[in-house]
Amino acid sequence: MNFVLIFLIVIFSSSLFFYGKSKTKSISIERNIKLNALPKFYGYYLVLWSSIPALVFLLVWSLFEPVIIKSIIIETAANQGAIFNDKNEANLIYEKIKAIHLGTYFGDIDTILKESAISYSKFLNIFTNSKIVLIFVTIIASVIFSLKKIKNNNKAREDVEKILKGLLFVSSLIAILTTLGIIFSLLFESIKFFSVINIFDYLFGTNWSPQRAFIRDASAITAAEYDELRDAFGFVPLIAGTSFIAFIAMFVAVPIGLFSGIYMAEYASSKIRRISKPIIEILAGIPTVVYGFFAALTVGPFFRQIGESIGLTVSSESALAAGLIMGIMIIPYISSLSDDVINSVPQSLRDGSYAVGATKSETIKQVVIPAALPGIIGSVLLAVSRAIGETMIVVMAAGLAANLTINPLESTTTITTQIVMILVGDQEFDSPKTQSAFALGLTLFVATLILNYIAQRAVKKYREKYD
Amino acid sequence: MSEVKIKSNNLNVFYGDKQALFDVNLDLNEKEVTALIGPSGCGKSTFIRCINRMNDVIDICKVTGNIEIDGVEINDENLDVVSLRERVGMVFQKPNPFPKSIYDNISYGPKIHGKGETKSELDEIVERSLKKAALWEEVKDRLDEPGTGLSGGQQQRLCIARAISVNPEVILMDEPCSALDPIATAKIEELIDELKKTYTIVIVTHSMAQAVRVSQKTGFFHLGKLIEVGKTEKIFKNPDNKMTQDYITGRFG
Repeated sequence: MNFVLIFLIVIFSSSLFFYGKSKTKSISIERNIKLNALPKFYGYYLVLWSSIPALVFLLVWSLFEPVIIKSIIIETAANQGAIFNDKNEANLIYEKIKAIHLGTYFGDIDTILKESAISYSKFLNIFTNSKIVLIFVTIIASVIFSLKKIKNNNKAREDVEKILKGLLFVSSLIAILTTLGIIFSLLFESIKFFSVINIFDYLFGTNWSPQRAFIRDASAITAAEYDELRDAFGFVPLIAGTSFIAFIAMFVAVPIGLFSGIYMAEYASSKIRRISKPIIEILAGIPTVVYGFFAALTVGPFFRQIGESIGLTVSSESALAAGLIMGIMIIPYISSLSDDVINSVPQSLRDGSYAVGATKSETIKQVVIPAALPGIIGSVLLAVSRAIGETMIVVMAAGLAANLTINPLESTTTITTQIVMILVGDQEFDSPKTQSAFALGLTLFVATLILNYIAQRAVKKYREKYD
Repeated sequence: MSEVKIKSNNLNVFYGDKQALFDVNLDLNEKEVTALIGPSGCGKSTFIRCINRMNDVIDICKVTGNIEIDGVEINDENLDVVSLRERVGMVFQKPNPFPKSIYDNISYGPKIHGKGETKSELDEIVERSLKKAALWEEVKDRLDEPGTGLSGGQQQRLCIARAISVNPEVILMDEPCSALDPIATAKIEELIDELKKTYTIVIVTHSMAQAVRVSQKTGFFHLGKLIEVGKTEKIFKNPDNKMTQDYITGRFG
């Protein structure tokens, strides 16, 4: 229904473009006046004015219609004697009524439900009809308003610019608001979590086992229960595991990525560069889950075999396997970013170095790399935040047990993996176990934000240097 | 008449398919300033970049013919480019100090060539080079500040000091004053006058007046060919070639 309406609105208002154009032309000839803008701007003006108010109206209506109908239906059902104790039961009855209306409900139907279903379809009809009527009224009103403006030879160009500016502003507002929405939902759930678990117990606890957190009522927690809980949500093993795996990944990715970046920028002939750069960048396009099973099925067992042959116990899910594969995944980020920054070091600096008799490698080591260093640091920090946020590889290859260990051959876990573990399956949304996922998400968000900020500062500093 | 230091013989340079220099035969005298003039894109810079083999850096560049310094062929695959560039320094059109301290800018070359093993030896090289480049008095109290923080003219003198630091025999200057104001230019010209007592200098310039002021010998290039070469006085007062005449009087270029 809504799609048909949108389609009709768009078709109608687009056709007004030609009307507006020819109308203003004839006006200018008739009254022998100079138009304030080209005729096409009057066309645009008409199109925008006839479509936007109607579309906005439709959007707002569609947002509020279900809510209003629901409250009316629930109220009438209650008046007819339906019994529900809380919001959930009311919701259930409303869903039943809706299903009856759609003919998809196969349970017992009593008279109250039946009556309500009839009134539901009645209300739905009224609302749909009034929606269509009101949209027509909106369109007619806005067309009359804009036609009047056009006939008075308004400054259509400026007005169109203003409307477009407004549209662009609204788009960016939506982007910002959704971001804020996500942050606040993280924040509120985290606050709920921290109202049960002391923030210091969370930040400095060394034991992570949220599956122990069975409590009857989170709002009335006893001291004895809290003693049980306080060392179930220790953040330290997770941040340790995360940093440890990220460290292994960077240990692999930084040298290989940096050296391949240097090779691409300084040594490779343009032909080699043209072929190999896209190939390296393909690494960045491989889905992380593919890396994940590569790590879990190939690399992990391979390390275990080697370990066994030299008499070491290696877990088949190890931090080493996950870190190694994650490092390989990150190589293209570092290599292509550092390639770019090295390329943007001015040739004149290299010439200056060659001119005093430095060799190529001396020039790279002593002039090019120091000059590109802030940019390289920026690329490494971006890669670190990528490594910290990575989930799939760790889920598949590093295990789930929150060991506080620095042995790379044991299994370990990360923040993101634990969020996945907490939220898969059926969950109660008011238990601290589920809420801890939001706390973890918030912590991760803050950590990545700080890293990105530092990275961007470093990159910016670099840019100022040569502009 | 001083001795010939650099001698080019049928020098041709190609950038890919395009030929940039055609059979250039040019002798440059020791401890003299030779100016190369000519319109943009005529091959002057390409020519001086052959003398320290800077064209090696450009992939598609190919050089044929001979070029000798003190009778030794340098356009030779087996030649050690590093030691050639130690003998033939270069100053570029745009000042290009490294983003390092003033001290490190100067000590960079000597360190690379293993000169100045102790700190005091390096200090001495830095001081000597900066004095020769007439920059010492201005920067002696702030040697640890970045070279990029100096003014344009100071930066260019810093680059000259950097070229001097490895004690070369020849200094090539590729339009060293084109990015500088008249006062900085005057300082550099004074400096060139002083430097020619020790070094053989080749300078590419777009300013006729500068060529007259600083050089003893002038070569005029046009479209990759060396049209005329001779004593500066003669080239500017009484050139043999009509094209040279037209160029120096500003009728084209």
